[in-house]
Amino acid sequence: MAELKLLTKDIDKKDLHKLSVYETTGGYGSLKKLFEKKPEEVVEMVKASGLRGRGGAGFPAGLKWSFLAKDVFPRYLCCNADESEPGTCKDRLLLEKTPHLLIEGMIICAYACLIETGYIYFRGEFQHASDLMDEALEEARAKNYLGKNIMGSGFDFDIHTHLGAGAYICGEESALLNSLEGRRGEPRLKPPFPAVEGLYSKPTVINNVETLCAVPYIINEGPEKYASFGTEKSKGSKLVSVSGHVKKPGNYEIEMGTTVRELIYDLAGGIRDDNKLKAYIPGGSSTPMLPADLVDTPFDYESLAAAGSMLGSGALIVIDDQVNIVESTLRLASFYKHESCGKCTPCREGTRWMWQLLDGIHQGEGTDQQVDKLVDICDNISFKSFCPLGDAAVGPVASSIKHFREDYEALLKKNAEGAA
Amino acid sequence: MFEFSSANQKRIPEILAKYPNTQSALLPLLTLAQRQEGYVAPQAMVEIGRILKLSPGYVQSVASFYTMYHMHPTGKYIILFCINISCQLNGADELLEHTAKKLNIKVGETTEDKKFTLHREECLAACSNAPMMRINDTYHEDLTKEKIDKILDSLD
Amino acid sequence: MANDEVTLTIDGQTVTAPKGTMVVDAAKKVGIEIPVFCYHEKLGPFGCCRMCLVEVEKMPKMATACTLAVAPDMVVKTNTPKVEKAQKGVLEFTLLNHPLDCPVCDKGGECPLQENTFQFGSDDTRMEFNRAGQDKATPLSPVITIDRERCIACQRCTRYSDIIEQEQALVMLNRGFNNEVGTFDNQDYDTKYSGNVIDICPVGALTNTKFRFKARSWDLKNVDTLCAHCACNCNMTLGSRLNKLMRIQANTNDHVDDGWICDKARFGYEFIESKNRILSARSQFDGEPRDLATKDALALTAQTLKKIADEHGAGSIGFIGSPYATNEEAYLYQLMFRQGLKTNNIDHKVYEDLPGLPINHYDFEAVESSNLVLLIGSDPSEELPILDLRIRKAITRKGVKLALLNDQSTALDRFAETALRYDVGFDGAAIGALASGLAGELGIDIAKDGSKSGISDKEMKALVELTRTSMKICVVYNPSTLSAGSLAKLRQLLQLIGKIPTVECGAIPAAPATNALGAMDMGLLPGYYPGGLALTESDEIKKRFGNDSPLQAGLSAMEMIEKAESGELKALLVHRSNPVVDFPGGERIESALKKLEFLVVHDMLETETTQLANVVLPSVGPGYDEGTTTNIGARVQYRKRGLMSEGLADWQIISQMAAELGVERNYQSSFSVTAEIAESVRGYEDISKKTIKKEGQNRQAIAGVVGDLGNSGESGPKSKKGALRLRVAHYLFANDKILDANTSLAHHFRSSTVHVHEKDAKKMALAEGDAVTVSSGHGKVSATVAVGDRCNPGSAVIERISDEQGVSGLQESGGISWVEITKE
Ligand SMILES: Cc1cc2nc3c(=O)[nH]c(=O)nc-3n(C[C@H](O)[C@H](O)[C@H](O)COP(=O)(O)O)c2cc1C
Ligand code: SF4
Ligand code: FES
Repeated sequence: MAELKLLTKDIDKKDLHKLSVYETTGGYGSLKKLFEKKPEEVVEMVKASGLRGRGGAGFPAGLKWSFLAKDVFPRYLCCNADESEPGTCKDRLLLEKTPHLLIEGMIICAYACLIETGYIYFRGEFQHASDLMDEALEEARAKNYLGKNIMGSGFDFDIHTHLGAGAYICGEESALLNSLEGRRGEPRLKPPFPAVEGLYSKPTVINNVETLCAVPYIINEGPEKYASFGTEKSKGSKLVSVSGHVKKPGNYEIEMGTTVRELIYDLAGGIRDDNKLKAYIPGGSSTPMLPADLVDTPFDYESLAAAGSMLGSGALIVIDDQVNIVESTLRLASFYKHESCGKCTPCREGTRWMWQLLDGIHQGEGTDQQVDKLVDICDNISFKSFCPLGDAAVGPVASSIKHFREDYEALLKKNAEGAA
Repeated sequence: MFEFSSANQKRIPEILAKYPNTQSALLPLLTLAQRQEGYVAPQAMVEIGRILKLSPGYVQSVASFYTMYHMHPTGKYIILFCINISCQLNGADELLEHTAKKLNIKVGETTEDKKFTLHREECLAACSNAPMMRINDTYHEDLTKEKIDKILDSLD
Repeated sequence: MANDEVTLTIDGQTVTAPKGTMVVDAAKKVGIEIPVFCYHEKLGPFGCCRMCLVEVEKMPKMATACTLAVAPDMVVKTNTPKVEKAQKGVLEFTLLNHPLDCPVCDKGGECPLQENTFQFGSDDTRMEFNRAGQDKATPLSPVITIDRERCIACQRCTRYSDIIEQEQALVMLNRGFNNEVGTFDNQDYDTKYSGNVIDICPVGALTNTKFRFKARSWDLKNVDTLCAHCACNCNMTLGSRLNKLMRIQANTNDHVDDGWICDKARFGYEFIESKNRILSARSQFDGEPRDLATKDALALTAQTLKKIADEHGAGSIGFIGSPYATNEEAYLYQLMFRQGLKTNNIDHKVYEDLPGLPINHYDFEAVESSNLVLLIGSDPSEELPILDLRIRKAITRKGVKLALLNDQSTALDRFAETALRYDVGFDGAAIGALASGLAGELGIDIAKDGSKSGISDKEMKALVELTRTSMKICVVYNPSTLSAGSLAKLRQLLQLIGKIPTVECGAIPAAPATNALGAMDMGLLPGYYPGGLALTESDEIKKRFGNDSPLQAGLSAMEMIEKAESGELKALLVHRSNPVVDFPGGERIESALKKLEFLVVHDMLETETTQLANVVLPSVGPGYDEGTTTNIGARVQYRKRGLMSEGLADWQIISQMAAELGVERNYQSSFSVTAEIAESVRGYEDISKKTIKKEGQNRQAIAGVVGDLGNSGESGPKSKKGALRLRVAHYLFANDKILDANTSLAHHFRSSTVHVHEKDAKKMALAEGDAVTVSSGHGKVSATVAVGDRCNPGSAVIERISDEQGVSGLQESGGISWVEITKE
């Protein structure tokens, strides 16, 4: 089976990050078509394409654009280039290899939503990507793809880069806005939602890098073409970062609905050392892990949800049978403890407690009741924290107990034997 | 006393020009100060607060939220070693140990010659090229012990 | 039903609440308590502690009742099994790393965490690990202790510092589990209103250092009373044990303090136990102090005053009252001097001011509902801290604009739409320019003051425009900073603003002393009877105060000093005032007082003036005293006694002397005097024990005379070779008799500093930090030079930082005070 390369068709082209090269691939070609349309037509096209957010929540992009508070200006566009979800590395690929594609996508969004200023929020570690983007932005300005009266259309738009400084939570959209405004990256109360009061309390669109990069194709080829790929509700292609115990880890652009089995065994070359698949995490560390017997689940929003997980950011982490799942879970618990912003009680205290318990079990100090207690703690955090980070932290713990309780028991038994 | 170098002074208005308010320039200026000094000292926070009209307490409150700001002097090269899941699955723990041993320091420490500081780091978005480490601004991916040795030896 | 009322159901009960109300507050209305930690009405919704989770029909997830606004037909459930499990779970998380030191915690007995745990928690813990063990009690400042281990990270305190005081001095540091409340680089948290965080911390993390381990909260006798330090008159609760003051806490009165008190209110009460207290009467003739029974001292005072008045005429005696006294004390004293001694030589201040206003008298709430607050010569941050907070609230949260007209920069400048700076001494010119600008717009012709104020025409024009186009203006001015003659211009300005057809307008006369307004209302003025009755309104005076009320003009305080100097004034009674240190003129004052035949000082603490007195009478003072005071927003409130004193109350002392002089009344309590005030003082008709009991009551407007519209003479000379025009700035946290060396607020004390403009510094070869002597014709002050833009060129500002500093010795009464600066 093969990839479906809508965004990444030229990704391996040398110097694609340069404007001149990008233009040879048809880059910025969508703009001419764009300026012939009315903004609201563009929104309708994106709606019709079925494109959904690729940052994690999967919210329909066109719908989001149509929610902006009426008649309130200025409005802002924020591109979420925080890419911090463990397992995910697809945005970095796009940012470093094809920055102009993102710029093109942002121009389309800004035109459709009557926005004059855009920001790209990079995670702090993406200095290199941000430098490349600054160069790309300069090139685009020089060619009047950005700036005043873009290509004589009467439309003004510019983009600025902004770097974070190390905080996973800043991927959450309202925390991102706080961070961009020079605040602690704590999430904000919702409502008001960003579409009503976002950056600088103005209506704001926030989209993931991949979401925005998918837009030029929709303008170029038409929404019907885009929607012809994928499943009924999950349209188009998805970039999936495959990592972990596979022979050929990498970013693969697949048609929505491709099975996990195809991803692992056809594209990523199968499991290392031809070991057996034990578990996989389909959508980044926050999404519940699934056992090997669900390997035929199609990779799309609905099927993964039906299987008890989520598509998330599209980061497939593959775990083979050489691993005790508690070890992987502990590592993720430690991550969430480290990344909890500390604003709300269940997440701040709960992530640390879960980590303490898992660490205890891992170190040989656990009891069986502690596994039950973990389940209850998960329940006490779930949907009770201020933002979804708390729920995300519960994901690996609850799912690993659900599917691999025997791994916990094996450790506990070993401990009991060791103690005796 | 902390002062921005004259080159950096020139960059401040460029940074401010990106945003409709001054507070938004806080992270960029903290980063600028850190790039200049290697870390963000209290005096730098006072100076940034002065420029942006923010209380020093506020500046510290924000700075201390983000893990990339160092509050104490660091080595010339800061090694951030990813130990999150994809890297872990690919043997990051062992490689980190190897690196620490090679530098003869513990994780979190700086070598005596102030050349290297070694930190454990969460996922840095290079998962399909795990294991990886970031040295200053550069990503080093698909690491092996040999590769690490070579990289460290090549730095001066 | 009004459109902005919303009806919803909570636990089956129908609740109606205004739009925007949070569900927690709506529930409270029908007696349903939803537990909270992080929510505080004054701080607004935040939603971080998750204690208040409730179920709402049609919502998939539980919601926090503190962030959820009521909506029509909303159905809320606060006691389902799901809610109970959530509450138990959240409490378990909250207590996970909280120490179990309730028995030794100051918050014990009044701790929301303790109470919520008791009511909603489970009785055992499932935490099997050692608690995180944060730092125990460490000083956050000399007056606040922080116990980080007890902190539940609700961010109430840091939000207070951010939202309420707008300082961002107390902040959250670090992230996640390592979050901690702290300050920049571990410096002290020492804003002027820092202590409020003690009251709002829902656990024992922030405690009052002075109160720690002093008493258990349930052993305290709590009395709701007023602060007596400044003219805000904030409400507070005085907790005592065995008649010893243990602590002060805020006690919300939205009309006045919005729930806050400043640190001087909370911590500045050591004077109550000062060794300088005057506990008994004494006489002192020929330098020989002799203890007297109070009764004898009163008789001696009354008889001697009477004798001198009989011998030399009523004009030979005088009374200098106190802007710190209660209305009852002030009223009784003027009664005693007017009716008992037939003199109008009565005053309480050394600056110009007149009773009443030519426009509305606004209160503190009007600050919030205005569109523009125009501050003239007023520096609330240094003079009236809680009015300062109210202004900050108005600007930052109510969309009110701020304009400043002052001769010095203030902490509020950063909030101002426009901050104009006039040259020291040229307030009249600046006010006049604004007035004539407005008059021009209104097509009214007024006399112009030709002198330049130091403000450019362009800036002034912008202010005129801002004023003219604002819908509702609240003018806050400090009469004590105005130069002679400026008050008339100010009143003219007020009247002009009042004439703009589209503008609603009122003013707050913001003199800083506690009962500055009450003192004027009570007629502690040479030209006015209580209620702002001018001496010319003789019929009204006779009707209210008796046919033989004296009607000839009396002497002002400074005139009394002059007449004492010349020997025409023979006797003077001074109530709770310290002219030797506080009156302009320096040594001159002391020598004038020494010339008196008979000087009586009635005060609570020994002062430079009591040292000169022939008779000293004890005053019990705040804490022990009681009576009403009228804040600058014209709100009359009751200052209740919190501690029992053995001595007589001031109102008793005064009424006994008055009786001795033939003014016999039969007062049973201070409220009997209040009742008489209600009967005879214009504006106070509605004031009674009942009406003011809980939240006080605004007195009625007292119509005030407008300044003399014709008289707009030029302001004084612009320059004098080698000299600068001096402005003395008020500083509430100064090291005086109230905040003496023993105060726990000593960290607020400043050093004597003279602020000069860069230009003058250059001209005079002065540099930042230079030690200098500032001198005028009357006295000298040592100071350190601060160079900057606190004032315009040609001007100098010195803060009055202590009694010892002696700045009033530099001042001229009336006119401009010229000072020279020489390096030491
Ligand atoms: C804890 C947390 C972390 C997140 N991190 C990211 C991220 O790194 N990148 C991203 O694009 N979206 C992230 N999201 C999702 C964003 O909040 C938001 O939904 C997304 O940027 C919207 O863009 P989209 O609709 O194009 O996906 C995160 C959400 C949460 C709750
Ligand atoms: S110190 Fe008190 S008020 Fe401040 S965050 Fe902690 S618990 Fe809340
Ligand atoms: S009181 Fe509602 S979340 Fe804290």
